[in-house]
Amino acid sequence: MTFVLLTALALLAALGLYFGTMSARAASSASEYLDAGRTLPTWVLVFAGAGVSLAAIGLNDQLRLLAIYGLQANQIAVGLILAALFAALFQKRVWVASRLTGLSTIGDLLGAYFGSITIRLYLLFVLFLFSIPVAAYCLAEFGEIVEATTGGAVPASYAIWGTAIYLFIAGALGGWRGTLYWVSMLSLVCLVLLVLSGGFIVAGFDAVAFPVQGIATAQGILADRIPGVIQFTAGIGREEAIGGPFTAIAGFTFAIGMIGISLSPAFSFLGITSSSKKGFALSQVWMVAGVTAGLLGLFGPVIAAEIAALGNGQHVGGLVAKFAALNELSAVALLIMLLGSLQIAIAFFANSGASIVTLELVSRYILPDLDQNGQRLASRIALAGIYLCAAAVANFAPLSAAVFGALALSLSVQLLPAYLGLCWVPWISRSGVIVGLILGILLVVFTEPFGLILFDRFFVEIPWGRWPLTIHSAAWGLAFNFLAVLLVSLFSRGGEERTHREQLHAAFESSDPRVVRGAAITARWSLILVWSFLALGPGAILGNSFFSDPIFTQGSITPGLPSLLIWQILFWIVGVVLVWWLAYQGGLSVIVTTPKRVVDLAPPRNPLFEPTTPPWISRLLGRVVNR
Amino acid sequence: MNPEQTHDRLDRHALVMAIWVAFGFAAVVLINHGLGLGGAVFLFAGAGAIILGFLGHVIVNAVYATTFTPRELALALVIYVVCLISFGVATLLDRDFASRNFLALSADFIVIGVVVITYMIIHFGVRRTFQAFDVIRDFGDESRSSTSGAEK
Repeated sequence: MTFVLLTALALLAALGLYFGTMSARAASSASEYLDAGRTLPTWVLVFAGAGVSLAAIGLNDQLRLLAIYGLQANQIAVGLILAALFAALFQKRVWVASRLTGLSTIGDLLGAYFGSITIRLYLLFVLFLFSIPVAAYCLAEFGEIVEATTGGAVPASYAIWGTAIYLFIAGALGGWRGTLYWVSMLSLVCLVLLVLSGGFIVAGFDAVAFPVQGIATAQGILADRIPGVIQFTAGIGREEAIGGPFTAIAGFTFAIGMIGISLSPAFSFLGITSSSKKGFALSQVWMVAGVTAGLLGLFGPVIAAEIAALGNGQHVGGLVAKFAALNELSAVALLIMLLGSLQIAIAFFANSGASIVTLELVSRYILPDLDQNGQRLASRIALAGIYLCAAAVANFAPLSAAVFGALALSLSVQLLPAYLGLCWVPWISRSGVIVGLILGILLVVFTEPFGLILFDRFFVEIPWGRWPLTIHSAAWGLAFNFLAVLLVSLFSRGGEERTHREQLHAAFESSDPRVVRGAAITARWSLILVWSFLALGPGAILGNSFFSDPIFTQGSITPGLPSLLIWQILFWIVGVVLVWWLAYQGGLSVIVTTPKRVVDLAPPRNPLFEPTTPPWISRLLGRVVNR
Repeated sequence: MNPEQTHDRLDRHALVMAIWVAFGFAAVVLINHGLGLGGAVFLFAGAGAIILGFLGHVIVNAVYATTFTPRELALALVIYVVCLISFGVATLLDRDFASRNFLALSADFIVIGVVVITYMIIHFGVRRTFQAFDVIRDFGDESRSSTSGAEK
């Protein structure tokens, strides 16, 4: 199988290089390298959006969680609908804002809108977390899977460095457009192979584990039930939750963590660089909420049940061997699905990192006079640096990659108040956002392994572990973040800053008026709250027995599937309808006309806004340059 | 050609490749297993994957307001004919292969052919579809044109 796997990977790599070369030849100017001339087609947005959402969760990790914890972990698939909802809330408005202001990244937009360098730097930090630790984590996992499934014939380090080198060459050739073509293609491949792998198990295996025995979890783990609404435990690493960690609140707060995908700088950059007027709604409704969440929720448990039935420490290697015994190519298809989703994350986050760093840091602060060719060179150097760091971390310190990478989504979610301010709520102030960010960061860091390890090693042992009270770190941070934003904005919502911010909102009203107002909006958002409560929140506990022990009858029935899975499928369908309603009928994702640039968000005289290079960067550069 | 047209051509090309890589790979896996232990169900599923890829390609053509390019047509015809010849040769030479796979594979080839012809009828109409296969008429045109050339 090793030869077939390597051949398939080599063919995919050749396609990546082909797309890169074609994109480079089609580029009309060097500036297109960085942002594809902001003309990415609809289909790229549609497929890449779905693939990146899937990859950011981690397909391999999700299958492993399902194999260990059963259907309670399947709440994560339903949570993707929440990520789609928030993408619907922001993606179009960010796109419109970028056209109205002429700014090309979310860092530029938020920085100029709030007049804050701190927010810019925070976005760069989040970008760094996605570009290096998350990419390194995926690379490490890539190497581990290749080594395990080839029986050591291809060592992990060879797989890591080989992948990093060809992804770098493809990215350096084709820039943002070439990378996105390849990412979109891989996304489609992964989705098709997810169906193929699930279908292969159902049609090809003599005995399918899922309908016979369910997901064979360890003793004490509830395989087909949510273990309570909340458990007052100290957190992972300190005190195990009874029946599994995915309580209803854990599922809901995990879904809040997944909003971080939609709010990440890379995902925003994908939206901003697209030319599509129809793509946002298609991507959010049909691909992310519909196809991706549905396929993951339906086929994930089937595949995970086989992994769990084979034991093997919940590693996918056992299932690959079982596939290979039937048909070698099917085993390669399963592996390409897993490795492909990892490559999506690596290529997407590394290349977006290089482009954004060049636009926001290099050509803004370090070398403001850089011409287009220079920017392209700078981006290639940044890309080389990112891949070098990611591969080195993946090879030599994979645990560090996991520890730092775990922060990425939760810290990305802390940008939610800033996005709300930019897109919808002009009274959210700069001070409010910054204070909220500080509190949010602290809470996230101290409910994730990074802060816990750091504090335990150097100071005293903290009495809680990861995600105390079965609440995800993203939600801990966001709760305090929002509280601070509300309190501080209450006292700083007016003044000259507010006038500055209102410019953009006035432009929104004229170029992108709200389709529905008043009671209709209230009704829609009320429905979303009801859906969230029942699908992901405390109400999800009803799904444990709703279809097997109906509430108003004395008897019980055998529906053929676990009650919780039926509940999840039901609320997946309802969720898709709701996202469709908001995105299309509510006009959240429909662009009627392309707005013209009418707003200048950087007034020259106000010292709050940064017209030039910040003094501390100037001093730092001066020390190096004038030496 | 302006940059917008170049990008449109590239976008379409990349999308078509993405569709065929995904569905083509799935089809190869399914047919490979169907020819081995899987049997007719997997062979039909393989044909289904090819038809899905074809439908995807048709949708791309509709979205980009294009038709199949000559290269795409040539590649598809070559692949179809090579597969058909391989199937014929394997049926003649391998008794086991014929007994196990003849009906299912024949059905696959017929269904794929029918889907393509149905598409052509919907897209071009019956007359133009018939003309596409009307070889005798082509010969007639050729002989007429050569005659008229000689008269000149």
